[in-house]
Formats: sequence, structure tokens, C-alpha cells
Amino acid sequence: MQDRPTAAELLDALAGFFRERAQHARDRWERFQFLVAANSLAILKREAELEEDAILAEWERLDSLLGPEPLPLRHRDRVARLRERNAELCEAIRAGSFDGEREGELKRHLYLTVRDKVRIASPDELGEEETSG
Amino acid sequence: MPEETRRVVPIAVRRALGADAECGEPRLLAGGAMHDSWAVTARCGGRDEDLVVRVSPAGRADHEKTQREFVVLRAAREHGVACPRPIAWGVCESGEDFLVMTRMPGDTNPRQLVASPEYARAREAIVPQLAENLARIHAIPLAAIAEAPNMRAPAPGEDPLVALRRQTEAEYRQLMLDPHPAIEWAFRWLDRQLAAMPAPKSEPCVVHGDFRIGNIMYDGEGLTAILDWEGTHLGAPEEDIAWFCTRVWRFSRPDLPAGGLASRDAWVAAYERASGRTVDRARLLAWEVLQNIRWAVITFMQARAHLDGHTVSHELAAIGRRTAETELEILRLTGVVEEARRAG
Repeated sequence: MQDRPTAAELLDALAGFFRERAQHARDRWERFQFLVAANSLAILKREAELEEDAILAEWERLDSLLGPEPLPLRHRDRVARLRERNAELCEAIRAGSFDGEREGELKRHLYLTVRDKVRIASPDELGEEETSG
Repeated sequence: MPEETRRVVPIAVRRALGADAECGEPRLLAGGAMHDSWAVTARCGGRDEDLVVRVSPAGRADHEKTQREFVVLRAAREHGVACPRPIAWGVCESGEDFLVMTRMPGDTNPRQLVASPEYARAREAIVPQLAENLARIHAIPLAAIAEAPNMRAPAPGEDPLVALRRQTEAEYRQLMLDPHPAIEWAFRWLDRQLAAMPAPKSEPCVVHGDFRIGNIMYDGEGLTAILDWEGTHLGAPEEDIAWFCTRVWRFSRPDLPAGGLASRDAWVAAYERASGRTVDRARLLAWEVLQNIRWAVITFMQARAHLDGHTVSHELAAIGRRTAETELEILRLTGVVEEARRAG
């Protein structure tokens, strides 16, 4: 394992550096570029902290929607396989497999998955009702 | 790139105003990934004219699009829409094309308009002004734009919502970087709504095609001009009304769906008053869902421009991570968020 700082701590330090640079930018364009960069680092920091749990939860819900499947050992295999399973889910939605009584379960899955993405990518976009639970 | 288009400005000014027109120093205006817009003052017949010259670089020029925008702007202006008066369009020998128009007074920064205390009065005034102008755009007689080349339109008798839904799905399948179950489900939801809705009664009308708060000019009193007519085509009024409400164009006021300025109800009521039309709320909701899907497609189109190496930009790359918030908005509009929350 790596020594401190953790990935999140290092990304945090970098984001702070870019925010500082934004404050002393030469013009509006440069200020905006530094703020976007700081924001991207903040996304990566949240991803380092939250992504593992989000992937496990998404995997479990897909087990229920598409049929169970053993979870790959490695992170990169999990992500690659999740992508394929999402493509399978899309196919099933298009084919009408979730039009009837299973639509409720699908909708709950869509909400939780999108909410977990937004928690990482743009948490300010979550309404108050969506930040808890 | 701007230096290449600066050269075109005096050529365009002389073509617009005559060979004896004197062209001042061009100043690059903010905005536009596709074009450069130059502010310039020209002297002609003893008078100063404040102009904007928009130049599309040779590789990206689209002459028909520029001509179409010219014709529609002219018609809009004749029918009382607050917009620049187009003076000339043309093609340079070196391949660039240009559009010369009058420079309108006012500011374009939408963040300042939705948030700044000094614009409180403008915020009040601008919602009915926007509704009136949008109603005028939608009432432009088709004969007035007959010269506009390649005016995209739904097939005869086809519902414009169905036409744009089909086009959006084709773009989605072609451009997506990852599978998006939420968007896949939203297309399905849209089809169910469409099946349950009566076909629209009205004929296609002129739509602006990119009617949002970032494409207008304003001053302390309210609206001064509607800009950026590149996306103009024939369609349904709801297309513009709904695009104005999409989440991404609310800036710091997501609680005010209509451009960060007003509630959805106040906006639609203002449009109904101005146009004398009745807007079917169920149909408008379907339009708003579709317009958010379109924005989601644009987010991965932007990320793709970076990932493909077409335009290297960390800013474009980061927009790819904005697909998720757009999906969340789609799930809010379709009641999925509310349902999940009630289920706990």
C-alpha cells in the first residue's frame, strides 16, 4: 500500500492549489480554466472516496435485475464488466422486459445509480431530499 | 485562430456597406467555439455604424447555414423580434464565410442576470418580454423565410416531437461513450407519453432552436436582443419553451426552472398570454424530457471532442461528467425521484 498522503488527500491539495491560482488569474478565461481544473480534481477526490461502495451497490442491484453473477476480484474487471452489464440492461429495457410489474424495481435502480454518480460528479446538483439515505 | 478571421472583417464590412466604408479596429467578442465574432465600428457616408462581424473559419464554414441565419434574422427583425439587423452575408475567396449585423446594446452574462441585485428590475421585466418575443418568432409567416436554404423541418404531417425524438435517439446511439440505462428508459417513457397524447393540431412554425438565457442580451430594463440563430428550423413552439427550462441553463437558480428567472408556470402562462396559444402541459413535459436528453447527448459529444483528440481540452473532458446531473433531472421530471423517495 501507498504511504500518506492518500489519493484523496493529494487531490485535495492539488485542488486547493488550482483554486488559489484562479483567485490570482490574469483574466476571466484563465480564472475559469483553473476553476474547472479544481472542480475536476474535486470529482476525482470524491470518486476515490465513494466509488467502491457505489460499484458494489450497483452490482448487487444488477444481480437482482439481470440475474446473479460473481463479483470479479479486481477493480478494473468490475468496472469493465459493469459496463457490459449496463449495456445488457439497456438492451432489456429497449426490448420491453421492464415494461410491466418490474418497472418499479428498475426505476429504483436507475435513481440510486444516477444519484451515486451525481454524488461524485456534481453533488451541488442533489436536492435536499436526495442527499440523505 | 482569431487572427485568421480578423483579416476577414474589413472585407466583410466593405461588402456590407460599400467600397468606401472605413473599417475601425476589430475587437474579439467572447463566446463561440464555431465562429469568431468581432465588434467593429465602420464609418460610411459620414456616419458611424456599430457592427458585429461573425466569421466562420474556412474549415468550419457552412454557407447555407450562414445564409439561412441571415434570412431568418431579417424576417424576425421585420416581425418585431428584438434581434440584430442583418446587413450582409457572404463567402471569402479564402473560404471563410461571414455575417455582418448591427451591434445591439446590453450585456450577455447570464450569471449576472439571474443573480445580481442590480438586475432585479430587469429580471422582473424580462420574462414577459422573452415570452412576447418568442411568440413573435413562432408567428413569422413561412413565406417570409422561403429563401432560407435547408430549413430543417419535420416530414409533412409528422409530429415535431416525434421527429426530434428520432433524431436525438440516432445521435445518442452514435455518440454515447457508455451505456445509459436511465436515458434508455426515458426514451421508452417518451414513447408511452406519445402514444397516449393526441397529435398536435398546429402546423410547424419557425423556432429559434437554441432559446436559452445564455443567448440573449439585456440591460437594466430587461431584454435588448435575442442572439445565436444558428439552430433555427421549423418545428413546434414547445421546443423553444422547453429548452428555456432545461436544468443546465438555470445557472445559480435551479429552483427557478425558466432560465433561472421564473417558475415553469409563470413562464408558460406568459407565453400563452403573449401568443394566444394554449400550451398542453403534458406535451410540454414530454418536450422538456426530450430536451434534457438532447443536452445529455451534447455532454458526451463535448467529452468525445477531447477524447477523440479533435479539440484537446480538459474543460470539454469535464463536461462528460455532467451527463449524470442531466439524467437526474430526467428522473425528476418523469417522477422517478419522487417515487423512489416515497418508497424510502
